[in-house]
Parts: sequence; C-alpha cells; structure tokens
Amino acid sequence: MERWAEEHLRYLLLAPAVLVLLALTVFPTVYMFTVAFQKFNPADPSASAFIGFANFARLLVDDKFHNALFNTLFFTTVSVAAEFALGLGFALLVDKHLRRANFIKTVLLIPMMLPPIAVAITWKLLYQPQFGVLNDILIRLGLEPLLWTSSVDTAMASIILVDIWEWTPFIFLMILAGLAGLPDEPYEAAELDGASAWQKFRDLTWPFLRPVITITVLLRVMDAFRLFDQVYILTRGGPASVTETLSYYIYKVAFRFFDTGYAAAISLFMLALTVVFSMWFIKRMRLED
Amino acid sequence: MSTPPATSEATRRAPIPGRTRQKAKAALIAAVIVFALVYTVFPVLWLLINSFKTRLDMFAIPPIWLVTSPTLENYYQTFVERAYLTYMANSLIVAVATTVASLVIGTMAGYALARFDYPGRMKFHLSFWILSTRMMPPIVTIVPLYLFFATLDLLNTKTALAIAYTGFNLPFVIWMMKGYFAEIPRDLEESAMVDGDTRLGALIRIVLPLAKPGMVATAIFCLILSWNELLFALIITETTSANTLPIGIAGRITQYKVEWGEISAAGFAACVPIIIFAFVVQRHLVRGLSFGAVKG
Repeated sequence: MERWAEEHLRYLLLAPAVLVLLALTVFPTVYMFTVAFQKFNPADPSASAFIGFANFARLLVDDKFHNALFNTLFFTTVSVAAEFALGLGFALLVDKHLRRANFIKTVLLIPMMLPPIAVAITWKLLYQPQFGVLNDILIRLGLEPLLWTSSVDTAMASIILVDIWEWTPFIFLMILAGLAGLPDEPYEAAELDGASAWQKFRDLTWPFLRPVITITVLLRVMDAFRLFDQVYILTRGGPASVTETLSYYIYKVAFRFFDTGYAAAISLFMLALTVVFSMWFIKRMRLED
Repeated sequence: MSTPPATSEATRRAPIPGRTRQKAKAALIAAVIVFALVYTVFPVLWLLINSFKTRLDMFAIPPIWLVTSPTLENYYQTFVERAYLTYMANSLIVAVATTVASLVIGTMAGYALARFDYPGRMKFHLSFWILSTRMMPPIVTIVPLYLFFATLDLLNTKTALAIAYTGFNLPFVIWMMKGYFAEIPRDLEESAMVDGDTRLGALIRIVLPLAKPGMVATAIFCLILSWNELLFALIITETTSANTLPIGIAGRITQYKVEWGEISAAGFAACVPIIIFAFVVQRHLVRGLSFGAVKG
C-alpha cells in the first residue's frame, strides 16, 4: 500500500486540487452551456424548456447588453492605459531611489489590498456632492463643483478614478521590481556610444521589461474586465446605465430578473472573450520555463 | 527623501552631471514621491476622520477637516448595537477555513508540479489550465454554483462561501507554492531519500519547513482575498448567520439612505487587519500580487 502510494505520489498529490478545480470551474461552465439553451426556471429546473439558440440570438439585439459590453471595454481600456502610463512613468522616474524603501512601497500598495467595500465607501464619502471633500477642494480652488457619480457625464470617469487610485501602485511596483533586475553593462556600453535617453529606453529598458509588463497588464485587464464591486456600491450601474458593466448586468439579469438562461448566454460570451484574450496573451509570455 | 547611496548610483549612470541639474532632479523625485504618498493615504485618512465625526459634523457644509470633538459613537453603534461583530466573526471563520483548505490542497499540487515529471506535455497543460481558472470572471460561475449550493441545501451558509473561496484561492496557492518549491534545492530531499526516507517523508520533514516563509505569505494572501470578497457573499448569503463584513456594510447603503457614520466606522475596521497584514508580508508583496510571476 505504502509502496503503491509512493509510486503514484505525483498523481495523488495533484488529484485533490484537480478535483476541486473541476468541480468549481469546469462543472459550472459545462452546466452553463446546458442552461443557456433553455428557458430556464430557477425555482424548478425540471420545468425548463429547451429553446435552442434563442438566448444567444438575444445577444445580438439587446441594447442593454451592448451598452454593458461597451462600458466594460471602455472602462478596461481607459483604466488600464492610464494606470500603465502613470505607473511606468513614476517607476522610471524614481527607479533606484525607492528600491530599498520597503515602508513607502508597502504604503503605496495598501489601496489595492483593502476591501473593495471600504474603498467604495471611502470614495462615496469623497464624491458626496454636498459635504464631500472633493467638491470642497474644487470650490476652494474657484472651480465649479461636480455631481461625480450622480451625473451621466461624470459617473464613468468617477469609477475610473477609483480604479486608478487602487491599481496604479500595483503597476508601478511591478515595473520597479522589473527595473531592479536590469543589468548595468548594456547601459554603460550604450552610454559610451552616446545613446540618448529615449534610445536607451527603446532598445534596452523596454525589451528587458517586456515579460514583467506582459503579466502585469494581463492580470490588470482580467480584473478590470470583471469589475463589479465599485459599480455595485457607488452607482448600481446608473445613472441611466452609463456605468453598467458586464458583471453587473449579468448579476441583474440572473438575480433581479431571474432570467437564468439568458444570464448564462451572456456569461458564456464573457468567458469566451476572456479565454481568447488570455490565450493570446499567455502564449506571448512563454509560460513553459 | 533621496538618500546618499541613491545619489551616487545616479552619478554612475550620468558621468558628467551638472550639480544643480542633479539637485533639481532629486527635488522633483522627492516631490513626486511625497505627492504619491499623500494621494494614496489621504482617502483612507478621510474615512478614518469621518468615522470619528458626530452625526452633525458629518453633514457639515463645507466639510470639517479637523475634528475638534471626536466621538466613538459610530464605533459603539457599529460594534455594540448592531451585528457587525457577528459579521466579522463570519468573515473570519470563512477566511480561516478557506485558507486552511486551499493551502493544504494547493501545497500538495504545487509540490507535485515543481518536482515531478509527467508524461508528454501534461505538466504544461495542467499548469496552463490552473492559471486559466484564475482568469475566469467570478460572475460567470456564479449562476451554476448558486444552483449547485441550492441543491445541496447550502445557500446562506458559511460552508458554501468557504467552498467557493477555496476554488478562487487554489490556482493562486498552487502557482505561488510551485515557485517557492522550485527555489529549494532538490539535493536536500534526494539525500534524505538516499538515507532511507520516503519521498513523502522527505517532503514533510525537509521541504515543508524550508517552504514555511512562502506558505505563511501565501496564507496571508488567501486570508485577504476571502476577507475582501463581495460578489459571492452578496448572492449566497442572506441573513446575519452567514453575512460577511462586506455584506453587512453594503446593506447599510441603500438608494434612499446611507448610514455614513456607521459604514465609515465599520469600513475602517475592515481595513485594519489588511493594513497590518500588508506590513507582515511586505517582502512577498510583489510576488504575491503578481501570482508568483515577478519575484520582486
């Protein structure tokens, strides 16, 4: 018995993890496929009716879904691009000055580790139009106060600002960690050749940083794409659905309208987008070593 | 803010610097760092300040920046008069159960992937698949899991939350531990095996103690993840018996009324363990936050 266990240890150690992940990710996905083809009755699944591709056909004509998809893509692109530009710029600027300053680095990382609910109420306080501190600052500077999350014009920007606050430090510190691994010699050689700062960045720093940048952006895009918490607390998708993301829309369809079959169809669409994007991205970072 | 060794490093990269230009650059960097720190800390500080405000001060226009007569009323209401202590206990129970389960299961798998060979490209495909489950948006699995827990009669229980969170944490634990194990020299366990130990014995007696710092850091990340989780708890739990802290707080924010004092106090209280943890794991932060991809 013991010898048998020892011989098959490589599989025995893996088995529990594989089983749990099958049960909690693969099984739900497969089940989702069957639900998506039904007019599903969540109260009594046996009373559901097979309706073919009808749920998927709705994806083509549902304006609310198109709106949520657009909002999600817009939010993801703008947030990650802004965080990346700020994080990279800040990392290049302070480079060696902050490397050993663990205390400062930890303080900067705290926003992304805090409970999203705490982040959301913090910003709800800051954004509050009457007694919020941001409008107080605007007024003191002689500017017009804003309605922040309550106005169609500024709600999405407000959500993006919160995300930038939470996540820019992450990109900054990842790139800083990448910079710490750069060798000195190529820079000395480039210096002798009279290379400009931009040339050194383009030909040395950027190629060296690419693996770090790849994983950082991948993680960030995946998290931004699933945004739910901040929308739920700050705007509930409003006003006029301008901050409704895919996650929030699925939540509404499944647990407010109880249209489970259609929620499954949207979920599968969202999953497909995630899979295509991450496959393409992970292939690029050469995971095998 | 710029320390002497940092200045000398900068000198090395730019051989003929103008002294004033260098000073200006150091001042600029210091200014940017100070701005970044203020910008990062201020919102959390504002939450803390507000948690000490009386109901009247809370709604003052313009807002009061310095609270002259701080009150603990909000904390008293939150933790004595309302059910937040129960919510906290629920959060803690779920977090600990999740962490233990995912650490045991994930460490085993992480070790296997770090040490053993598998036929064909099985190892690559397995690692890739495990990583890919991390990329799944949680909302995608929530409908089937909800129905699954309904069938098992586990809705509105801490057990259901612990099971779901274990699924979220596992890929993370596997990848982190795989990385930590890969850094421990194989010779150590191989010589123990030459001395008559079994592979499992060598793993438990030799490798695990060496991997302990990594396991502790990984465990803390698991605790944080389940402590913070909102979406699943929102859908699976309904009453005080299973509601976690984020749900308790979210319940006090409705379209018509927001209990500002109460949620400020409870929100800051929810942050305290996280801030402590962040400093405990500071050497592992970059690694943990990057899924083990960047060693930092």
